[in-house]
Amino acid sequence: MSVMTEMMNCEDYKKALTADPGFEDDSGHAASCASCQDYRTELLALDVGLKAALEIDVPEFTMPELPDLDTDNVISMTHRRSFSKPTWFALAASVLLAAVFGVRMMDTGESYGTLESQVLAHLDHERGSLQVTSTPVSDSRLERVVPESVATLNHEAGLITYAQSCTINGKSVPHLVIQGERGPITILLMPDEDVAKASSFEGANTQGIILPVGGGSIAIIGEREERLERVKQNVLDSVTWDT
Amino acid sequence: MNTSNATGDRRLRFDRLVAVFYMDMFRYAAWLCRDRSIAEEVVQEALLRAWKSLDALRDDAAAKQWLLTIVRRENARYFERRRLETVDIDNLTASQSAMLAEAPNEELDDLREAIYGLEDDYREPLVLQVLMGYSTNEIAELMGLKQGAVLTRLHRARLKLKEKVADEVHS
Repeated sequence: MSVMTEMMNCEDYKKALTADPGFEDDSGHAASCASCQDYRTELLALDVGLKAALEIDVPEFTMPELPDLDTDNVISMTHRRSFSKPTWFALAASVLLAAVFGVRMMDTGESYGTLESQVLAHLDHERGSLQVTSTPVSDSRLERVVPESVATLNHEAGLITYAQSCTINGKSVPHLVIQGERGPITILLMPDEDVAKASSFEGANTQGIILPVGGGSIAIIGEREERLERVKQNVLDSVTWDT
Repeated sequence: MNTSNATGDRRLRFDRLVAVFYMDMFRYAAWLCRDRSIAEEVVQEALLRAWKSLDALRDDAAAKQWLLTIVRRENARYFERRRLETVDIDNLTASQSAMLAEAPNEELDDLREAIYGLEDDYREPLVLQVLMGYSTNEIAELMGLKQGAVLTRLHRARLKLKEKVADEVHS
């Protein structure tokens, strides 16, 4: 811990010590202050007691049944909203929207009005995210980008190499990149983008799918040769819904 | 290397890591959720997750932090699924009480109860520092906080515990 040692006084010293009894006092303040020495002794004794109190008995170890493995890039997502049955109106509206989106996609393939085209446009804008790398994003960054109130990610199961909060369709969206078999794969978690059914789309050298997940959706975009079905299945298998 | 050898090596590596860190995993989980039974479930789930993603751990020197991070996430996931209420220290279940019923002497008992009663935000960094031997930097990394925030929480946690201990002595 670094503290400005030249400014050290009793208050600073005790505060630093209370936060970390292992704090090293480079200023020499404690050596000349009996009160601070007593305080240090008191805190060290407290920590000895704390450690003993925290060392609760541990039950006998039982190894769970470990499955055979075939999972890479698994993402576990817990949705923050309850899964409710759609009303007829919402269902009809969703189907209508999906139909409009589908027609527009077939018609122009370039319209930025559809969710698919917005996703592609965003990827085009953020090409830097598509790096082939073995360096994962830090846990702290991942937790900032995907707070537990939005989703829970199984970061350990796959190599997440990019995490950024982005805006799609005016809404904040966690933008992640994992390493696939053919290159980087983009995953956009869109908890507020309700889609009626799964759709697929293609970019210049990419292919993508948007999957309805509860009241939101997930977009997965990879290289043309990437087996997105496999990634898709891993994602869907790992979704745990609130009931 | 053939497939069965690779699988065997993988399992060997996993067993070795678990043998070293199981106690830390359980204690961390127990102090996070304050319930021995839930901690056992959380650790079992964490072990499964760790097994599936072992290949993501490139350096075994980082295994402790990696495993504790998995425990932390599994604990959060557990509570998110079940939406458990905040623990009321005056109205504990048997499994929760078991956390407090083991201390070999009264002084330790009081201290354990005081830790148990700390808010989650204060208890967790304290457990990581005192029990796991983590630096404030490492705690900040694991909890996704700035180091200053960790120092503040640790400072407040110890002040609260000192007050509790002093109250017990006076009473």
